[in-house]
Amino acid sequence: MGHLIGMKYCQEHVLEVAKNIVLAVHKAPQITGKTEIETEIIWGEDLEPIIEVMGPIAQVMRYVQWDYETLKNCYEKGENPVIVAVGAKTAKSNLAWDCGACGFATCKEFNAYAKDTRGGGQLGGPSCNWKTLDYSIACDWACASAWQYRVDNRIMGSVGFALLALGFMPDMDVKLGLALGPPRDMVYYSREEMHKSMSYELDKQDMINCVPTMFTAFPGGGTPMYKTKDEWWAPPEFMGMGYSPEAMEVMQQVLFEQVPEIVVKHADKIEARYKKGKKKE
Amino acid sequence: MKKYEEDLNFRGEEYVSEWTPWSPQDIRRKKGVLESARMMLNSALTAPFAGGVPSTEAHIVYGQEELEAIARKMEEIAHRKKAWKEPFLYEAVMVRDSDVILFIGNTRCHETALDAGCGLCGGGMDCSYFYEQKTHRNGLVDITDRSSETQIKGPLCTARVNDMGYAVGSALWTAHTLMVDARPFASVGMAGQELGYCRNSGMIVGVPVAAKAKNPYVDVNVDYHLINMDKVLDNTRKIYQTARIIRGFDYRKWIPKPKKTDEEG
Repeated sequence: MGHLIGMKYCQEHVLEVAKNIVLAVHKAPQITGKTEIETEIIWGEDLEPIIEVMGPIAQVMRYVQWDYETLKNCYEKGENPVIVAVGAKTAKSNLAWDCGACGFATCKEFNAYAKDTRGGGQLGGPSCNWKTLDYSIACDWACASAWQYRVDNRIMGSVGFALLALGFMPDMDVKLGLALGPPRDMVYYSREEMHKSMSYELDKQDMINCVPTMFTAFPGGGTPMYKTKDEWWAPPEFMGMGYSPEAMEVMQQVLFEQVPEIVVKHADKIEARYKKGKKKE
Repeated sequence: MKKYEEDLNFRGEEYVSEWTPWSPQDIRRKKGVLESARMMLNSALTAPFAGGVPSTEAHIVYGQEELEAIARKMEEIAHRKKAWKEPFLYEAVMVRDSDVILFIGNTRCHETALDAGCGLCGGGMDCSYFYEQKTHRNGLVDITDRSSETQIKGPLCTARVNDMGYAVGSALWTAHTLMVDARPFASVGMAGQELGYCRNSGMIVGVPVAAKAKNPYVDVNVDYHLINMDKVLDNTRKIYQTARIIRGFDYRKWIPKPKKTDEEG
């Protein structure tokens, strides 16, 4: 006998769906059959370091900003978003295929190179491309499984970066996070959470920056003006190109100062979990 | 009006059986698999992609000659590398046992990289690992020299390869949902690339699809390239004929009968 009312039980149930999704990740077919894949489910207060690390990146990366704000707002509203972390060992090849896809003639040369450069990229790397395929098939099965349960979700590189920076799944070379729930429509697509920080001006400037040809006037002169305002007769504006010390400085500051500061706060606690054994098992 | 009349005549029957291979009833069965492969492809196209950028191309291939050509190319590739020999030879048998082959390729992994500095390709903080090894001008990669000393002309943008995995994964998910058997193979992809399928792609995965009583892609015996259903059937033709030849009698006049035992009287 019972009577469930409201959304709380439903939001809590997302965690159970996450467990089902993990089943699908590990059932996913592989091309090589030799790629190690690990999963973790992260929710509640354990999301805090991940959201915190995404914060500074959000200042310099628009897509991270939307991921950050969505997760942060959902979490703070108590909607219980859950992250299914998926990682794989891709920086070492045990295939001996020597296929060349990685850029090296042999797997042996790739392994020697990867030994020194492992984990050097923002999302990990270097990668055996066949193992990457196994990994992304598994990530795709996480997404497909979530859709099958009709829970809004999005596979996120931004979360993957946070997992890597914070030292989640230390044995894995590449990490992505499937943001799962809350149980409602349009959490991670056509995001309502963006309404607070989005403005017409911001969006317009983004479009001018990203798709400048949409705003280019007659190019026959060689240095076209740009149609950036309603007043056609107003003084024209032109596009310029150049190194931006400010932009680079902000990026450096974010990656090498702000992110490490946050990582240091949480790293010991996260590392300790792996010493004790697998988290939450 | 013609269409309406046709609709009034909507009636018929189809006999379907996987035995004998390539018979009309088997080909009708294959047509169902073809529809499944098309739906798998739909799923591949709607998989998540970095930045929502389309970069998937695909070929759906079917027919006895077409599948035989793919299997033979796989056998050719198998003998190039010790690590490939046995698995690729086994997989060539699986292709012959398939109904439809789906090739999924990525058109950007070798040419128009994601340029996001993710480092997946070489473990660096930018895309230089990719561009330093490519012929390019201002980051526009010249792909016209298609010669390669390796099977795949690397390096590739691994973020794009990752996208291709999403496409393949979604195709496989739909295969599972539709309960047709399918498996992703590197060997089939490599053969497809050499045969010119998905020719705008830097890397291809082959996904054979089948709907038969026995899943062709699992539970194989050792030396599967030497001992498989085709070979067993051919072996039967070889052995049984001779077994007949060595004992001839005129069945119209006399047929040997089992000896009667005492109990039977």
